[in-house]
Amino acid sequence: MVMVQLFLSFVKIGFTSFGGMSMVPLILEEMEKHRWMTAEDLSNLIAIAEMTPGPLGINCATFAGLQTAGTIGALAAVSGVLTPAFTLTLAAAVCFNRFHQNPVLTDILSVIKPICIALILGVVISLSMENYFPEGTPDAAALLIGGAMLYLIEVRKWKVPQVIGISALLGIVLYGLS
Amino acid sequence: MKIKKRAAAEKSIFRGLALFCFFTRIGCFTFGGGWSILAQMEQEFVDRKKILTKEELLDMVAVGRSLPGIMITNISMLFGYRYGGWFGGICAVFGITFPAVVILSVITMFYAALKDNPWMHAALHGIRAAVVPIIGSAALSLGKEIFKTRKGCVICAAAFLVCQFTDIGNIAMVAAGILLALVWRRVKNIW
Repeated sequence: MVMVQLFLSFVKIGFTSFGGMSMVPLILEEMEKHRWMTAEDLSNLIAIAEMTPGPLGINCATFAGLQTAGTIGALAAVSGVLTPAFTLTLAAAVCFNRFHQNPVLTDILSVIKPICIALILGVVISLSMENYFPEGTPDAAALLIGGAMLYLIEVRKWKVPQVIGISALLGIVLYGLS
Repeated sequence: MKIKKRAAAEKSIFRGLALFCFFTRIGCFTFGGGWSILAQMEQEFVDRKKILTKEELLDMVAVGRSLPGIMITNISMLFGYRYGGWFGGICAVFGITFPAVVILSVITMFYAALKDNPWMHAALHGIRAAVVPIIGSAALSLGKEIFKTRKGCVICAAAFLVCQFTDIGNIAMVAAGILLALVWRRVKNIW
């Protein structure tokens, strides 16, 4: 039963996401609904996914599947998230010339993209509450790290793996030594 | 006739295996989103083997990005199909997926133990504080073009309000967006 649920959840996530981080809000929703992952787990997983090769969707599916139902669970979740590639994209490949610069797709994307950004901003807010104000009280060290990393990414244009490395070190210094 | 058919089958199996190996190889090095895989595909298929022009690759990227699902697997499918038919496409998708599944399986096995180690716990605590700026800046760079148009700003603001103040789920929101876009197209065409 859990296999079927995992498969269907990731089919849903696959068909309603359009690349990269736009998957995060959908994954968070499904994972919390079924209690397969907490927001903390997902934050860790995003960091892991940024440090290891491979797309975020595949990494999340593997992790959630293995955690909830072992190897078969992982296979179910990964096949779920690959379903759009094996159906829609295969169909698109067969009639590639008609899909190329298709006005219907362009119109759909012009509506979906702003919605995806709004959903990602929603996740930014809920993860901020979770990570910077755990149990309602501000976490000074987390706020400091968050602010510093925002500066490094936006102003100094640091790459994500470097940012993750530095914040891990800061975490060890600020949380581990105190 | 039979011999011809068999030769064709052998050729498609061979091409499928070659695609699987190539995509497994680049699947090991796709750090930081999907863009590095494109650089590798360009080197291999455009510059070295010359079985694809740069324009064709860019067309595949455009289609792969506009279809739902994972961009990298979509592009792998499109290229695999072009080079080796539907079998080739499936092989390419499995190839690009394989390294990620293996690596994440290993990490997941040690995840519980790692999370409870006090030093690792502290490091993960620090990393989690960096995840918000990482996602936030990804959203900003995605939004750069969209916030230039009034339509994009209005849709984004409306969607943000709906997702903050109602219980409507994220998946339902995206589905509603697709429907809205289709209805809007119809209305525009009638006028």
